[in-house]
Amino acid sequence: MALAIEVAGLSRTFGALRALDGLDLDVDEGEMLGLVGPNGAGKTTLIRVLAGLLRPSGGTVRVLGSRPGRDVAAQIGYMTQSPALYEDLSIRDNLVFFGRLFGLSAADARTRAEEFTALVELEGRERTPVRLLSGGMRQRTNLACSMVHRPRLLLLDEPTVGVDPLLRLRLWDHFRTLNAHGTTILVTTHVMDEAERCTRVVLLSDGRSIGSGTPAELRGRAGAATLEEAFLVFRDSRGDA
Amino acid sequence: MSGSRVLAIAVRILRQFRHDPRSVGLILVVPLVVMALVGYLVGDAGKEPLPVSLVNEDTAFGEAPGSPTIGTTLASALEGQAGLEVSEAPDADEAERRVRDGETAGAIVVPAGVTEAVLAGRPAQVTVIVVGIEPGLDDRVVGAVRLAMAEVAAAAARGGAGLPQVTIDRVPVEGSKDLSVLDFFAPALIVVFVFLFTFMLTSVSFLRERSSGTLERLMASPASRLDLLLGYLLGFVGFAMLQALVVLGYATIVLDVKIAGPTWLVLLTLMILVIGVVNLGIALSFFARNELQVVQFIPLIFVPQVFLGGLFWPVQTLWPPLRLLSQVFPVTHAVVGLREVMVGGAGVAEVASRLAALLAFAVAMLLLGILALRKQRA
Repeated sequence: MALAIEVAGLSRTFGALRALDGLDLDVDEGEMLGLVGPNGAGKTTLIRVLAGLLRPSGGTVRVLGSRPGRDVAAQIGYMTQSPALYEDLSIRDNLVFFGRLFGLSAADARTRAEEFTALVELEGRERTPVRLLSGGMRQRTNLACSMVHRPRLLLLDEPTVGVDPLLRLRLWDHFRTLNAHGTTILVTTHVMDEAERCTRVVLLSDGRSIGSGTPAELRGRAGAATLEEAFLVFRDSRGDA
Repeated sequence: MSGSRVLAIAVRILRQFRHDPRSVGLILVVPLVVMALVGYLVGDAGKEPLPVSLVNEDTAFGEAPGSPTIGTTLASALEGQAGLEVSEAPDADEAERRVRDGETAGAIVVPAGVTEAVLAGRPAQVTVIVVGIEPGLDDRVVGAVRLAMAEVAAAAARGGAGLPQVTIDRVPVEGSKDLSVLDFFAPALIVVFVFLFTFMLTSVSFLRERSSGTLERLMASPASRLDLLLGYLLGFVGFAMLQALVVLGYATIVLDVKIAGPTWLVLLTLMILVIGVVNLGIALSFFARNELQVVQFIPLIFVPQVFLGGLFWPVQTLWPPLRLLSQVFPVTHAVVGLREVMVGGAGVAEVASRLAALLAFAVAMLLLGILALRKQRA
């Protein structure tokens, strides 16, 4: 199977801070990979490198076979932590705009806008300006905007932060549906029960991968009952392993 | 009311200022800069002498060559004035050409026979050639000639002659005589509106793009920086031109302001200005954290342009370093260029250098915008 993401020896520094420190990571197409780690582990930095927003300080990165950047941007969807939307525009206008930006024709963008408003269950609110939406509705609009161009690879940066439990379940249902239809997903989280829903989890600590496998494998190898415990075991044993 | 709570709020505000040194700097420095400028511009000191040329054909009268005439007396009176820098021109045509080409701010033509006419009790006339599109400049030239004429009259009275009946004929080389103050100020007003609103709109909306995270999204899209800047440009130029049309329409239809030159040239000038200002707004928005800081840029980038851009005080009379500075300002070229077109009836060829200067500003700002965006995608 082709690799959606190939990362080798990736490092990225911000001044004296090493956000990513020799990270290796391969993601197969069709995977739903959970990137798990505490705040400051380098999750967002990695996502931003993959989205072409940050240049690596060292190492190699290939996304869908190319260097990250404008060449592959049209095949990637990037969902930011907090909703990045035009407040004065309606849901539909936002969707149409981002669709057009990612290369859809005007007619296609309109059709997709309708389709994706329905997908995130916001039908009937197409014409509502974003500033009048609740936080959860914004987050769903945000998700719809990041996938309106049907990307092959979806980068989700803590998509459920500040989202109520019910909506969180619904968002994860969306992710799974997309994944089942063939979209490769890389999702960052520090909520372990979300990580449990991924086909594979990579544990990230201080800019390095400290363990990788299905949630069950990771728990088994660490002899832990939960992923949290497994994370601590892997982190503490990193020096010896 | 609780004194301690009031105090807590006041202390918090002062603390916040301490963490915003730029605001404090601007609040303290900008008034000083503005007051220094106003003091200089309104005061009499430090003004540069205006270059004028003099054509004196009234050099002799009757059988007494060498005795002073009105022409020679006027010439020495003019040369004695600190505000003027008098040079001689061979004839009236050459003097007019110098004014037209901007080499001099005005010209004084004393025709032959003025002294004889005055001695014979006939009315005589001295011609003052002015540019005709900048009242501040023209008034200074005419005022200087009036002053010199008063000296001539005083000299004549001392010599026992009667008061000479000499009138001053003011001849503008561009524009016509029957222009109102509004005609002169309309171009400046239009430029000020277009500049200020375009700058505020673009910088605030780009700032929002950055703070809302949508810029990040745009940067992660296949759109290039140039796509982004050109898109912004197209949108804002369209909007600014609509504004320009409304202002221009109101000025011409309701206020009866005349547009002597081609209207499309007025719009073209404004359009080039807007292209520069849109990119200036984008570039500066990267130096601002919030809308307040964008507003703080206005006294910094806008007020000097209004003071030094030839809106109220002619650029030619500024202290040379300030004059040089004014040539960097797009507002200067836009105001002077628009005056030449709207009041002076200039065509493309005559304002080409102004358009070129505005275009250079636009290109420089576009590059600055691209540079600012490059910092965004590092």
